[in-house]
Amino acid sequence: MEALGPLEITVMEILWLHGDGNVHDVTQYLQRPLAYTTVMTTLDRLYKKGLLERRKAERAFVYHPRFSRAEWEQKRTGEFVAGFLAAPQTSGQMLISCLVDAVGRHDEALLDELERKIRLRRKELARRRKP
Amino acid sequence: MTLPYVLRLLCLCGASFFLLHLALGLATVLVTPAAARWAGRMRARQAARFLLVLRLSPAALSALAVAGLCAPSYLLLEPASTHEEVSMWCVVSALLCVMLLAFSAVRCVRAARRSLGYIRYCQMVGRQEHLAGESAPVWVVEGSAPFLVLAGILHPRLIVSRPVVNALPVRQLAAALRHEDAHRMSRDNFKRLLLLLAPDLFPAWRGFAALERVWARFAEWAADDDAVAGDSQRSVSLASALVSVARLGACPQAAPLITSLLADNRDLAERVDRLLRDVPLESGGERKSLAFRVAGVLASGLLLALMAQPATLSSVHGLLECLTH
Repeated sequence: MEALGPLEITVMEILWLHGDGNVHDVTQYLQRPLAYTTVMTTLDRLYKKGLLERRKAERAFVYHPRFSRAEWEQKRTGEFVAGFLAAPQTSGQMLISCLVDAVGRHDEALLDELERKIRLRRKELARRRKP
Repeated sequence: MTLPYVLRLLCLCGASFFLLHLALGLATVLVTPAAARWAGRMRARQAARFLLVLRLSPAALSALAVAGLCAPSYLLLEPASTHEEVSMWCVVSALLCVMLLAFSAVRCVRAARRSLGYIRYCQMVGRQEHLAGESAPVWVVEGSAPFLVLAGILHPRLIVSRPVVNALPVRQLAAALRHEDAHRMSRDNFKRLLLLLAPDLFPAWRGFAALERVWARFAEWAADDDAVAGDSQRSVSLASALVSVARLGACPQAAPLITSLLADNRDLAERVDRLLRDVPLESGGERKSLAFRVAGVLASGLLLALMAQPATLSSVHGLLECLTH
């Protein structure tokens, strides 16, 4: 699956949020004004990348996402991991090592946060005990 | 397949058990998300009891129906001298029932053996010590793996590793030991054995895994609640103990019939948050529990009265005839 640019991601977000839409609809939902042709080209590119499906309605294409956001993210992550693991052995080991480190850092951060909450609670209880 | 009288009875009982258990089990699996939400509104101890009953009910009700309806209707209404043809579906269902029960029995024996082996090992390498807040001696095991567990079914023992004893201040250690004591008082290891003994939907397919996970979570919460008994200081101590033990590293689940202070790190944040909240004084819990018991007794009485009716037995016999052919 090819990587997406910022505008492509924005367009996908709009279609995931609103479902179907033609070029005009997507242009309306964009937060910054963009040329009709720019949006049309972006939608066409996403269609060619296999992320959108389209049907003709009143001389214009109506686009809708082929995958839900969750499906797309799962596919992307799966391909990323598979790419790493398919590479020479060191790449796979590096990926697993990075994942373990990331999980460890996440755990440490979680435990720090829980300890902070416990300290706050202790202070609160101490305050309550004082007359 | 033509079977004699007694084998046909066994075959029909097995097939009836399998089909009833499958239907009730599927219904239980379907209502599990709603039951989990409902349990979330109860006190943890009540929720754990409710979920345990829900998990065991397909097997218990199926066994009751077979023992109270299928077997008596067959023995009373089936002519004893006849050899009858039994359908392939009936034989397959009976075989599946045998497999279900065999899987459960093997699982139980294996779990009991592993637990027994674990306890023996801990008793061999550890020694009994009197620790803070514990009147009974606790087995302390030297070694680097951090754990604090309750092991055993009939006579559960508290086993704690030296790193945990060294890392926890007296109050935290006492809170952690009270937590495991609460598991001992509520016989959670025996309940785990019952869960292993209760058959699955199909052989070697753990269809009730989600329900068992929710039960385990509520059982932990209930032990937390019992350990702190509404005391805010104890709550903070137990929360600190949980975080301290988590910092020591993963707590390996040594055997399926062992309750560990931190069996599942995924639940840690939620447990700590619960312990740090002000505990609301709930009323009406006992009344609700009494109402559940009364409803249970009434339902059982109604069921027994229904079973004793001749019309019920003849209807069941008709159903068994359909199953046979």
